[in-house]
Amino acid sequence: MQRQVALIKQSLFDQGYLDEQFMELEELQDDANPNFVEEVSALYFKDSARLINNIDQALERGSFDFNRLDNYMHQFKGSSTSIGASKVKTECTKFREYCRAGNAEGCLRTFHQLKKEHSTLRKKLEHYFQLARQAGPKETARRPK
Amino acid sequence: MTVEQNFEALDQFPVGMRVLAVDDDQTCLKILETLLRRCHYHVTTTNQAQKALELLRENKNKFDLVISDVDMPDMDGFKLLELVGLEMDLPVIMLSVHSDPKYVMKGVTHGACDYLLKPVRIEELKNIWQHVVRSKSRGSNNNNVGEKRDGSGNEGGGNSDQNNGRANRKRKDQYNEEEDEERDDNDDSSAQKKQRVVWTVELHKKFVAAVNQLGYEKAMPKKILDLMNVEKLTRENVASHLQKFRLYLKRISGVTNQQAIMANSDLHFLQMTSSLNGLDGFHHRPTPVGSGQFHGGTPGMRPFPSNGILGRLNSPSGIGVRNLSSPPAGMFLQNQNDLGKFHHVSSLPLNHSDGGNILQGLPMPLEFDQLQANNNNNIRNMNNNNKSIAGSSMAFPTFSTQQNSLIRAPNNNLVVLEGHPQASPSGFPGHQINKRVEHWSNAVSSSNLPPPQTSNSIHHQFNVSPLPHARPDPLEWNNVSSSYSIPFCDSAASTLSPPALDTTNPGAFSRNTDFDSNANGQPGVFYDSLQMRQSGNYGPTTDAAMLSSNPKEGFVVGQQKLQSGGFMVADAGSLDDIVNSTMKQEQSQGELSGGDMGYGGFSSLRTCI
Repeated sequence: MQRQVALIKQSLFDQGYLDEQFMELEELQDDANPNFVEEVSALYFKDSARLINNIDQALERGSFDFNRLDNYMHQFKGSSTSIGASKVKTECTKFREYCRAGNAEGCLRTFHQLKKEHSTLRKKLEHYFQLARQAGPKETARRPK
Repeated sequence: MTVEQNFEALDQFPVGMRVLAVDDDQTCLKILETLLRRCHYHVTTTNQAQKALELLRENKNKFDLVISDVDMPDMDGFKLLELVGLEMDLPVIMLSVHSDPKYVMKGVTHGACDYLLKPVRIEELKNIWQHVVRSKSRGSNNNNVGEKRDGSGNEGGGNSDQNNGRANRKRKDQYNEEEDEERDDNDDSSAQKKQRVVWTVELHKKFVAAVNQLGYEKAMPKKILDLMNVEKLTRENVASHLQKFRLYLKRISGVTNQQAIMANSDLHFLQMTSSLNGLDGFHHRPTPVGSGQFHGGTPGMRPFPSNGILGRLNSPSGIGVRNLSSPPAGMFLQNQNDLGKFHHVSSLPLNHSDGGNILQGLPMPLEFDQLQANNNNNIRNMNNNNKSIAGSSMAFPTFSTQQNSLIRAPNNNLVVLEGHPQASPSGFPGHQINKRVEHWSNAVSSSNLPPPQTSNSIHHQFNVSPLPHARPDPLEWNNVSSSYSIPFCDSAASTLSPPALDTTNPGAFSRNTDFDSNANGQPGVFYDSLQMRQSGNYGPTTDAAMLSSNPKEGFVVGQQKLQSGGFMVADAGSLDDIVNSTMKQEQSQGELSGGDMGYGGFSSLRTCI
């Protein structure tokens, strides 16, 4: 089981969903902070879901306030970077470029892609954490307090 | 706190260092908190800048260091940075996803002692305690120095104040270690140290209003104090604040120029050359070396301050190039003629005709002129005269809104650093000049253009051409000879300034060397520029703007510039003095830059054109 967990994690990295930042976060996890990574991920998804909502609304309105969109995306990019969600981050960058270019269609397209990546990552991470929890303390060196 | 105490504290450092972390992004904040805890710091977090300010104001001694994100919804990170620096004098580290040099520069010029990129690594956080130690030890030094100066008041003690201030400014400088040292000294921390007066935004606004009312150049601490009519505020408080403010202005102007220049160094160069030609007009003006004449001259020059320079950055092309290219002296002269076109040049001291020398060194000034022209820069005239002047003119604009005309250069060709003096407290330039002048007297030795460089070595890069900041260069002019190049471009973050000025920074400011010789010749020229500035009265508009943005920084910067600038002819003060100081300054120019532009060390005057 633990091996499975490790494999899943490895694949996430290999596929580019996660990058070194995620590893850094894992290193921060310790006895004092046993579920750190999971907590941070949860926080991230909560925050980003809110951001996605905002962006969705802004886009639906059709007004295309590029400045505001850019701002949202900037925040999004910031948190994605902190957690190491590299694919999401890439989409964010693309989106911002389209924003700067004033390319509404490009923005829409990219945003759609971004949402996809985001939900994919979320699912994968949730799966991963679930397994990790099941795998037990040994693997993650987490000791029940 | 004595140095000894500091060192004792070091034993425990960095463990237990109290950090305040501010970031609107919950994810990042949590990660940051964990990272900091891992470094054994004591962490307090908040996701709102306002809350952070409240916490800090509640008890300044509660925290040793502040880490703040740049983009926050309720308040701009840079603004928070300024406020913290101004009110609490704590080291602040900026965090951002942006690695764009512009942001970094902004951070530096606003006084950040470091700028980290997200995602933050724990290794980077492990070292942040050094900023705290550094600022503490600087503070001690400043205090001592400041005390002595206290009596001398701002005018006189400009130098020492600046030095002290530098120490305080340390935070800002830290970003550029080189600059730190220089700036610390200049920074007027002494006054601060003595009595901790919190310069809140309201207080600062009053201060700016008073300064504007009096006229930047004429603003004297006593008068300001009377106008402000605030209880428990002493003349010393005002004096030191004024000093900082001036430096700040300088810095701003320098920064803008620098940025502009950096951005469009090529363009600047081209513009410079072209503008220079245009400048000729300016130069030709009969530069009443006597300096007194200049005053009347171009009121336009004033606009430099603050606004222009920073603004210039936008159009850096014009500006940057100019400085960089530092057209041969001859060019200046020629350009000067054209400068006339630019405008105001009227009394522009630039009339190198006498100085010729100045101009030579000053290719930059021409640029400035242009900038000024845009802004009505009399300053340009100044520029023409001496590179330093140019720097100064640029410096002027820099004060305020950085946007100044200086950067506009592309339009004006010269981008007269003046930048928008309008926007920026035009008054400041004047102030700056005054300050500078003061500094000069003190600093005389300070190297000609001690471009506010305060900070960064980046200045050097700008070398010369970029008028680092339109800092009210009265000083710069002087320096022009030596540092011409650099001071202007304060944008480079202060560091530039000195390089340009001093021949020592040969690399950066090759031009300077030339100027040095010139600078001496043209003392009068500078004076004009100064005067011009004064006339400009930079006006409250910019001041306010400037103040708000970087209250502390601005002052510091400005001050520094003045001093180093060398010429910074203080309000048409005695030209003789200026001249003398200029000469000396040229030598010492480096000082200006060292000054604490606070922000970025742009030697405000230098305004990178």
